Amino acid sequence: MAKTKSNSASPIADEDMGSDLSFRLLVQSVKDYAIIMLDPEGLVSSWNEGAQRFKGYLAEEIIGKNFSIFYTPEDIQSGKPEQELKIAAEQGRFEDEGWRVRKDGSKFWANVVITALRGPDGSLQGFGKVTRDLTERKQVEIALAQKAVNEALARRSQEILDISTPVVQVWEGVILAPLIGSLDSQRTQQLMEKLLEGIVDTRSTVALVDITGVPTVDTQTGRHLVETMSAVHLLGADVILTGVRPAIAQTLVHLGIDLGEVTTRSSLAAGLRTAMEMLHLHVTSDK
Amino acid sequence: MTDVQIAVMKVRDILLVTMPADPDDLTVTSLQDQVLQSMGKFNARGLVLDISAVESLDSFFARTVVETARMVGLMGGRTVLTGMHPSVAITATQLGFTLGNVITALDVDRALDILADTKRMPGKK
Repeated sequence: MAKTKSNSASPIADEDMGSDLSFRLLVQSVKDYAIIMLDPEGLVSSWNEGAQRFKGYLAEEIIGKNFSIFYTPEDIQSGKPEQELKIAAEQGRFEDEGWRVRKDGSKFWANVVITALRGPDGSLQGFGKVTRDLTERKQVEIALAQKAVNEALARRSQEILDISTPVVQVWEGVILAPLIGSLDSQRTQQLMEKLLEGIVDTRSTVALVDITGVPTVDTQTGRHLVETMSAVHLLGADVILTGVRPAIAQTLVHLGIDLGEVTTRSSLAAGLRTAMEMLHLHVTSDK
Repeated sequence: MTDVQIAVMKVRDILLVTMPADPDDLTVTSLQDQVLQSMGKFNARGLVLDISAVESLDSFFARTVVETARMVGLMGGRTVLTGMHPSVAITATQLGFTLGNVITALDVDRALDILADTKRMPGKK
């Protein structure tokens, strides 16, 4: 990125620069670039309108101050300003993009080019520093990156939701939704949609909802389950809630959760038997 | 004008009604009138109300269905509501619409089974 410019001993650094009035006026009035000059020690020696616009300092406030004032405390800590001047002096030019600090303390994303200015004898006269404010572009980049991350996260959680709410047909007219993990509103919504679609797709009249894998049931979960069952009833099918373990049964009664007219069974096996009975099917053994 | 949209079909001793996709309040009101008149005229034993075309259910429709079912009940018939869309069922549940004790069935076949077997109370154990 940094490459040596053979003609760094340009007329700008020359003694007679001051005589080229129109050129000075041009540099001073440019508003889209901060064009400033530093002495070999890094003290600001000239200032233009662009610099005032980006950085907020008036010429009389800043001339004579060290240019490290434009850097973040972390950069100053790590010696970045001195390092940049050193590279520019050695290689003729240094380019960087990074956060810089305005007078009011706010940050802006800057593209900075520092060029070493040498006299005809090759001695270091100072540095020219051209800065562009790329904050808007940077903000767009950050927003895009953030959006990509958010989209990836949303996709991932959708995948997890899909995996965690399977609905399978276990017999003609019977579908099963084994639930694992806690039931929040979003999952209940997902369960409801998939269960109802499953019922319509397979023309099933009995839906087994197994909560063996659900760690705890609270009032909220209870209400979600009752909602799901009501929706299933509206379609013309029935729900059997299975996997009601002793602990869950105790919680339901202690919390006073009324599951209404829902048929409940302690195990999935018992629920499947009940489903068969509802369909007037009988399991018999040949032996 | 609204009478055009609903046809009450009599199949043996059952009345069969299919609701249009987006029933307005007049259509819903006219449904009740026509059903009750047909109940009296044909001395029907049951009503199958097919709402498989209906994509959104409002509270007025839900209430009218429940009322109509009770009126049909008073006239000695049973009402079975069939073919509700999953999305309609979800919306109805979330908005808290209740269909009281109106019997529901997945499709018209099952609704006819339920009406044929009057002793069996479907779904409730």
